[in-house]
Amino acid sequence: MNCEWVQQNITLYLYNELADDARHELEQHIARCQNCAAEVADQREFQGQMNALPVEEPSASFLAAARMRLQEALETAEQHRAWYHRFAFDPTAWLRQVRFSPALASLLFLVGFAGGIGAMYSAMGKGQTPHGVVTPAEASMIGGITSIEKEPGTDNVKVQYDKRLPESVQGSVSDPKVQDLLLYAAKSNENSGVRLNSVEALTGKADDPRVRETLTYALRYDSNPGVRLMALDGLGSFVKDDIRVRNAVLEALLNDSNLGVRSGALHALDPVRADSSVRMALEQLSKEDPSDYIRTESKHMLASMPSID
Amino acid sequence: MPAEAVAVPLTVGPGLRTPQTRRAADETSSTPTDRGSMVGQAQSRMNDTELIREAQRGNTAAFEDLVRQYDGAVLRLAYHLTRSEQDAQDIYQEAFLKAYRNIGNFRFECSFYTWIYRIVTNLCLDLLRKRQVRKEDSGVTTDSEGGSYDMLDQVADVRSGASPERDLMRRELGARIAKALQKLTPRERMVFEMKHYQGLKLRTIGEILNTTEETAKNTLFRGTQKLRAALRDMR
Repeated sequence: MNCEWVQQNITLYLYNELADDARHELEQHIARCQNCAAEVADQREFQGQMNALPVEEPSASFLAAARMRLQEALETAEQHRAWYHRFAFDPTAWLRQVRFSPALASLLFLVGFAGGIGAMYSAMGKGQTPHGVVTPAEASMIGGITSIEKEPGTDNVKVQYDKRLPESVQGSVSDPKVQDLLLYAAKSNENSGVRLNSVEALTGKADDPRVRETLTYALRYDSNPGVRLMALDGLGSFVKDDIRVRNAVLEALLNDSNLGVRSGALHALDPVRADSSVRMALEQLSKEDPSDYIRTESKHMLASMPSID
Repeated sequence: MPAEAVAVPLTVGPGLRTPQTRRAADETSSTPTDRGSMVGQAQSRMNDTELIREAQRGNTAAFEDLVRQYDGAVLRLAYHLTRSEQDAQDIYQEAFLKAYRNIGNFRFECSFYTWIYRIVTNLCLDLLRKRQVRKEDSGVTTDSEGGSYDMLDQVADVRSGASPERDLMRRELGARIAKALQKLTPRERMVFEMKHYQGLKLRTIGEILNTTEETAKNTLFRGTQKLRAALRDMR
């Protein structure tokens, strides 16, 4: 270590940004080099001097004013949706749209009313469904109504709408098209059974980073513990090599609301129990976790760890 | 369309403000430097995650909870950097509106902390660049009502001791520091601000500025050297 290196790193040293070994060497150097020691003193003085321009916490009224202004703007702000949201059906947004479109709302009311009458007719067995009446099954396939035109002088209306058509694809999980659908279903489907099945199908393909990303997402955010457990199952063997997987499993261990998922995460982390973040988590859990099982298992895992002291 | 899609409960409204969320909001006052261990970070990220997911579904109440976790620090940074209440408030407003509009694109690839700071620092850098071009910055700042005042008055008020002479020296030093800071490039100014005044780690600063830790180190070194040269005669 020479003076030039020391002088270039004094700033980092004073901001506590040097690695432990470099810091030690630098301290050793300045203990025997007067020039560098003087430079350290000078830079320390400079840092103190810069504090003559203090950083103040914003006053409560300043912060409140900023919050109020933001709150007002948020009332009218709209979110930019991610591309896949355009394809996903969002009932909340749809209902909101209906709330602000009286024409569409009345049309839906009419469709519902007519549908009800149609259903009543068929239930009573009095002839066929009248022409033009939308049955509930058909209504559920309507993707969106794009225009309504009234023919002048008559009571005829032309309603233009998009229709959803069911389709199916069959093939190996390795087939890119099948895999895309599975990845999409695992993240976006409202039906937990569908999510569970897609996650299960994907667990065999976890060596693909894209699949791992989806499984990690499911482990972190899926509302169903069965799906989270299944995702954990698929990710278990990657805690060693993929730091993102390790972090997600660690988060599941610390925060998941389901004990089954937490104990699964605990066992999945066994191969990396010497990792500092895992060890810290285990130390915390062994002391204060409300679950007896997690406490005991964490203690057990810590005890089987070679000590570095 | 599957029938259960329609049966999804509507989660808009204040019902989401769980005690957990509140606790998360209370933890925000801590500075970035004294944030705890990896465990603490994982926990706070988890709280954020819930709020982000709700905000992505258009829940503004969840987004506001999220804002409250960061807005004190954002305002402090913007105010110290711009030295104008009006500009700081504009940056605050624009940053969080931008975050709200784009939260649907947030893919959890970095922490929300880094993401929001990235937005804020970009806005600050834009403003600093504009100011540098216009050369309009004078050390006189404006408050929210548009009235002018000298920020260095506050320096004197806060630190004033019994001696008016010391007070005057402090004011003079404050003015010189402000001037010296203006001479830095916007990026040097930003790195110095985040390191010296806000106490962020260089690794985080690099992430926020979309650069490496090494570049952040070099920028800090350059900025510090310039400042020392400009203020040498004051010591």
